[in-house]
Amino acid sequence: MSPMKETLTEFERNAREVLAASLTRIDARTRSRLNRARQAALEHAAARRRPWWRGFALMPAAGAVAAALLVSVLLWHREPSAVELPLLEGRNASVEDVDLLADSEALDLIEGWDGPFYEWAAAQTDANGESDG
Amino acid sequence: MSEFATLASPYSMPAAFHGDVDLTDPEAKTQSRALNQFLAGVELKAFKIAQAALRNEDDALDAVQDAMLQLARAYADRPEQEWKPLFYRILENRIRDMQRRRTVRGRVIAWLPFRGEDDDDEPDAIAQAPSPEPQPVRRLELDEAVGALEKALEGLPRRQQQAFLLRTLEGLDVAETAAAMGCSEGSVKTHYFRAVQSLRAQLGDLYV
Repeated sequence: MSPMKETLTEFERNAREVLAASLTRIDARTRSRLNRARQAALEHAAARRRPWWRGFALMPAAGAVAAALLVSVLLWHREPSAVELPLLEGRNASVEDVDLLADSEALDLIEGWDGPFYEWAAAQTDANGESDG
Repeated sequence: MSEFATLASPYSMPAAFHGDVDLTDPEAKTQSRALNQFLAGVELKAFKIAQAALRNEDDALDAVQDAMLQLARAYADRPEQEWKPLFYRILENRIRDMQRRRTVRGRVIAWLPFRGEDDDDEPDAIAQAPSPEPQPVRRLELDEAVGALEKALEGLPRRQQQAFLLRTLEGLDVAETAAAMGCSEGSVKTHYFRAVQSLRAQLGDLYV
């Protein structure tokens, strides 16, 4: 506060005293609201002063979370199936064969497998091809 | 709004707790503390000045709050000695805006065929409650003088009122008052002199 240097009249001195007394008559509700307004203003000032790089402060944490998610997704896709796939003529069935194997008709075909017949049919086909050629 | 009034401890909060201040930055901490001290020092006087101009408590609180926010937002980096004239300049602009808006609103409402009653005028129990402080004779004399001075101030032209309150209540010198009012130092002296003459004519020497 910059004090008034001029010589004050009696009226001015009294007026200052009266006005100072008027400040003490301000009620608690108003004082509380003024206090809250001041806090809000200080928040604004602090937010304005916050350095720009503070906005990137959470970047490492966010990056770590994103990386963890990516790794978990990749591992989930690469994880071997818990179901043991059946062997078919000494080879592991590929993932695409799971649908075929799960199909009930395909299972009937496997159960009714007649190996000698197909071998005989194949031999006949080969023999006919050679005789035609 | 008023339910926290009895719980709040408006002037006991240390400055270090104000705002989301980066405590590792001593400059930010110092500025926040200085701004808090400044605003705490002017808020009651600013409220009185706004109340005298607007004659409405809620409007006065809004005006002071806006001035605080504007100062913090736009001028917190300015040197501290500039804050007071800047703050009162902002407050004055805000008061003028509110007075203009009120004038326009009054004209519009005057044309409306039906004017709704204001239901928000119920007295606040906390605000109406008597102060627990003792009321000695001196206090009563001061209260009477405060009432008389406030009433006389309300009758002053706006610029005279402003010059008188900034000089007498806030203690600004002529140059600071001129900066706050946006006028010349000569105008400040004229407004202030006329205000004192007018008040003295009504109140005598205001013996208290």
